[in-house]
Amino acid sequence: MSGSILVIGATGSIGGAIASHLPTDGFEVTLSGRSAEKLNILSIDGAEQKIVADLSTEEGRQALVASSPELDGVVFAAGVAPLAPVRYLKEVDLEACFQLNACMPLLLVRDLLKAKKINKGASIVFLSSVSASKGAVGYAAYSGSKAALEASARCLAVELAPKGIRVNCIAPGMVESDMSDGFAENASADALEAHAKAYPLGVGRPQDVVGAVSFLLSDASRWITGVTLPVDGGFTI
Amino acid sequence: MSLTQFIEDFEEAVEDVEAGTLNGATNYRQLEPWDSLAVLTVIAMLDADYGVRLKADDLKSCETLEALYALVQTKVSS
Ligand SMILES: NC(=O)c1ccc[n+]([C@@H]2O[C@H](COP(=O)([O-])OP(=O)(O)OC[C@H]3O[C@@H](n4cnc5c(N)ncnc54)[C@H](OP(=O)(O)O)[C@@H]3O)[C@@H](O)[C@H]2O)c1
Repeated sequence: MSGSILVIGATGSIGGAIASHLPTDGFEVTLSGRSAEKLNILSIDGAEQKIVADLSTEEGRQALVASSPELDGVVFAAGVAPLAPVRYLKEVDLEACFQLNACMPLLLVRDLLKAKKINKGASIVFLSSVSASKGAVGYAAYSGSKAALEASARCLAVELAPKGIRVNCIAPGMVESDMSDGFAENASADALEAHAKAYPLGVGRPQDVVGAVSFLLSDASRWITGVTLPVDGGFTI
Repeated sequence: MSLTQFIEDFEEAVEDVEAGTLNGATNYRQLEPWDSLAVLTVIAMLDADYGVRLKADDLKSCETLEALYALVQTKVSS
């Protein structure tokens, strides 16, 4: 496999695992994250470039697009998950969640296409979540943002097919990560244990997601577009 | 912020507790409606109404509403 891949959210648990793995499959990676500190300490053989970009700002988005090389693939693994029952959902959290999880992938694809940075035949992979298709207390904002992302991905898949550009989502279940640690901090031990029991293959690790991402980036999946692939240890069976 | 107001906010968050039945000495973790949803809801209420982020473990570290109120106060002022 070969090609130049931009990994957005490379400073996160899942994005970091993806970025570390892709060079071993023959891809060249450009890493992006919000935190300069975390990005600087990432040491990944085969990483061509690092771009610090806070995607809550327009300047951040523009900087990312301007600094990106020409791409054969994009992995969008940035995300936020505010957890609150709807009676206490903060408007600012709801907006930030939709902005980063659902709007930003579209705006970035738009800007990268306009800047002619996405090559013909490229593959775009968005990190969605099992939450997009399953109701859970406290997840209204996050689930809604991921369902919106999946719906948008299907439209992009149709729209960009004439250029041979494929657009797919991966929907992980609970993966041990900074994000799930945030969930654990808000949940009682009983609730966590009950949730973990809903995974026939147990709770996942960030490495458990990378193979599916690499497959969707590769030519092995050249006839697959517009799908959401669950990678969830059987949670949604 | 007052203890009385805090208790009202707590009662409102947990629901299923009759308003006015709790006081500072109440051991909230022994209340019948104290379950995982109540934990999540109280954490979200404290964030939305008090600007304080507590963890489930913090809620376990206190017993009475008075003690929880004192913990919240330390976070508000810090
Ligand atoms: N963990 C799970 O259980 C799980 C399950 C299903 C789906 N997912 C999805 O998988 C993806 C990765 O999750 P994760 O577990 O790796 O989360 P994580 O460890 O919390 O990482 C989140 C990433 O998003 C980045 N980010 C947050 N706000 C940003 C902003 N304003 N601008 C730019 N980047 C920003 C972070 O950058 P910095 O660290 O540099 O600030 C970090 O790279 C997310 O889309 C998440 O929704 C996760």
